[in-house]
Amino acid sequence: MMNLSENELLEICRLAVKQAVTKGADEAEAYGVSSMESEAAIERNDIMLGKYHQASGLGIRVLKNRALGFSSINRLGRAQIESAVDAALQIASRGSSDPYNMLPKPSKIPRLSGILDPEAASFSPEETLRHAVDLLETAKRYDKRVTVDSGGFNTSLYSHAIVNSNGVEGSESGSVFSWFIMGMAIQGEEVSSFDFQFDGSHHMKNIDVNTTANRFAENVVSSLGSKQCEACKGTLILGPEAAIELALQTLMSSVNSNNVQKGRSKLAGRLGEQIASSGLTITDDATWTEGLAAGSFDREGVPPKPLTIVEDGVLRSYLYNTYTAAREGVKSTGHAVGDEESSPRVGTSNVLVQPGSSSLEKLLKEVRRGILVTRFSGNVNPISGDFSGVVKGGHLIVNGEKVHPLKETLIAGNVFDLLQNISGLSKERQKIFNYYLPYIRAENVSVTSG
Amino acid sequence: MRITIDLLQKALQNISQVSYAEARYHHRIRNEISVGNGAVEEAKSTQNEGVGFRVLVDGAWGFASTSDTTLQVMVKTLNDAFGMAKISASAKKTKIAGLAEVKLAKGVFRSPVDGSLEDHNLEEKMNLVTQTEASTRKHFGTVKSAACTYRELIDHKLIATIDGAAAEIFDSKPEFRITAVASRNSERISASETVGVTGGWNDLFRKDSAEDMSRKAAETAKNLLEAKEPKGERATVILDSGMVGLIAHEAIGHTVEADFVLSGSIVNGKRGTQIASELVTLVDSGYSDNVGGAAGVLLVDDEGVPAHKTVVIEKGFLRSYLHNRETAAEFGVAPTGNARAFEYSDEPLIRMRNTYVEPGDYSTEEMIREVKHGYLLKGPRSGQADANGEFMFGAQEAYLVEKGEVKDLLKGVTISGRALDVLKTVDALGRDFAYDIGAGYCGKKQLAKVDGGGPHLRCKALIGGVQ
Repeated sequence: MMNLSENELLEICRLAVKQAVTKGADEAEAYGVSSMESEAAIERNDIMLGKYHQASGLGIRVLKNRALGFSSINRLGRAQIESAVDAALQIASRGSSDPYNMLPKPSKIPRLSGILDPEAASFSPEETLRHAVDLLETAKRYDKRVTVDSGGFNTSLYSHAIVNSNGVEGSESGSVFSWFIMGMAIQGEEVSSFDFQFDGSHHMKNIDVNTTANRFAENVVSSLGSKQCEACKGTLILGPEAAIELALQTLMSSVNSNNVQKGRSKLAGRLGEQIASSGLTITDDATWTEGLAAGSFDREGVPPKPLTIVEDGVLRSYLYNTYTAAREGVKSTGHAVGDEESSPRVGTSNVLVQPGSSSLEKLLKEVRRGILVTRFSGNVNPISGDFSGVVKGGHLIVNGEKVHPLKETLIAGNVFDLLQNISGLSKERQKIFNYYLPYIRAENVSVTSG
Repeated sequence: MRITIDLLQKALQNISQVSYAEARYHHRIRNEISVGNGAVEEAKSTQNEGVGFRVLVDGAWGFASTSDTTLQVMVKTLNDAFGMAKISASAKKTKIAGLAEVKLAKGVFRSPVDGSLEDHNLEEKMNLVTQTEASTRKHFGTVKSAACTYRELIDHKLIATIDGAAAEIFDSKPEFRITAVASRNSERISASETVGVTGGWNDLFRKDSAEDMSRKAAETAKNLLEAKEPKGERATVILDSGMVGLIAHEAIGHTVEADFVLSGSIVNGKRGTQIASELVTLVDSGYSDNVGGAAGVLLVDDEGVPAHKTVVIEKGFLRSYLHNRETAAEFGVAPTGNARAFEYSDEPLIRMRNTYVEPGDYSTEEMIREVKHGYLLKGPRSGQADANGEFMFGAQEAYLVEKGEVKDLLKGVTISGRALDVLKTVDALGRDFAYDIGAGYCGKKQLAKVDGGGPHLRCKALIGGVQ
């Protein structure tokens, strides 16, 4: 069975919208997706499973007396569509009215090129398997102590379409090649920390499982022989993954207009203020096709433009969808996100952090006492920004030198304080799915160990 | 055409040259209502259904799924699974020899329900969420923001295998969550109360009413706003049932999943040896043992194996790993019923169910009275475990305990330690028992609805905090 084409999806969406309006919706929106995936899965240092998956889905949002109703289905026959429309209308008719519930008006959607690899349709399950084998073997070749617990390579082709009763119509197709690897190093009785690496691209030419496998293998091997360190207040150098987990997710949640409007953001009312050290510049850009969140339109059919969130440490903008923009009387920034199984929310697309001018090596050399963190495993309160958690794949740094890998070491502090204490960004950047960012160095973080 | 076990079996008859084949139909309704500060953020009903086919061919697995349940498309999908297995087999170095024999499930299985979710209409659920969210903002002046979510998963499954499983399963799992945010100037802090169960409406609100949860969440947020930072140190900690559930799940549960054991987890080769204090008996079960309603109930697993109560640690000694039929055959033991898939389009993996520590004989007061300096930790937050057994998880509230008395509330903390070291320091277990992590999901490639619990437990661990 083949994927539904963009035109077939558009037809299904039009039908659902028309039915909803006929049955009494004031406004209606339908979002259809269709995808085809093949996957080669690795488990316990071996190929384990081959998987093929073809699926479609339709999400219907209706507004009646400005009350919301939503339903979704994964079988797109006429009877199923009709009962899904009824379900959404039934929910809306019992919901409470909200004056800001509205759907976007049409605007011109410039079509991005570079999301669909024209060769992707001919990519075979055998090629998917070959890349998985390559990923596994590269990691194993790096060092015989490396153990791959799980991993895999996934090839996906998708189409999606959006139609609403105001005349919005958009459709697009894309391809995604993605892979991940997870495991540890084992030396005698000692088992190292896990490491988890992943990457992906819209383009076959950017498939590079070797870099991912080697980075993974290097991380697990270098975390063998870990020791505790003394408790201190010191410098933190966050690797790109740790920076996302520890700081960026909380920052991006705090510039989400829904959180700002509902008292769930410390950055409410602070546009134009210095919220981070100068030097930190962050943009959100759905048109950057190297990132896996690229798209010509958002989940509501609004075309997004590159948006500066933080400029040299100054907060410049929040992220809006149509609903949250209406609440403030501003325009949507095109940041409606979500799949076909949920009402559109507010969220990021590709997040780009500008690099600094120092090399990572120089950033490390300047540290008197501190730790390098590859992964952070802990809890961050997304509202207060308080964090507390364990350093993974961490190294103690003394006088600019990596002394030893760390175990049982906790760090604690506050994300918003940390952002004000950034003392350096590396000029090297790493791309991780929809993030592109440097190493981030910050001062004055509490370290507990022992 | 209505899908039946017979139809799945008919589809399976169309394949030969396989060592094993299974067909799993899964229909899931997911309803959700979410309100934040008086505005409806989500009000939805989703429906997903389809069949996943898994086959074992030439010692390798193949999996394919479809939402189209006509016989013709199912047979084609089964052949896709066969083709994927053939391709995998071409690269697989160690062939899978076979699956463990076990008496497979036949018949109809229903998770116990008190107050069917269908009997409580949409309006009632919407009103409850709207009113609870609104009242959370009325308890205290500093709590000006709140959110409330009700969600339910209603499942119908059919499982057929070529070696005899023929099971029909009905299950429902509702959950309810309230978050209160307290604020002063630019300070913000949140606190949540959550509950998630297997069963019905009365199961969901058996322990606390929505209004009780609302008041508790608001009060905790209000108090946390005044709380000081804890100091980071290694200390004696008393964990509540939810925290014990998290320890059981994160620190031990993941390390005893047999696929991970075979990758080289820290308990590899330790069966029969003492890995915890003799006070500790730890169980993973498909039933809701001791008390009802645990969210991880799984009467039949996704390979058609009937539920088991698996004693993982018995009085400190490691007794069993958690198995699917493949790893059970490798270890020469019986499967434990831990193969689980989240949706029809997911392949079964080894996952936990309800993981808990059996109670002891202390009262919580006695346990506190014996502590000179330590912490009482309440309200589990997310957790993770590492390959080396190092775990971490968060507590929403940390109370300082000095000279046998509970003192000030401190801001939430993360605790950490090496599982096998920490379990050896357990020196007291309460006689109480509860499950309390049922509103959350466990992630391992796919999601799974799990639960965990136990009595209050006292041990030593590392606490994260300021220096």
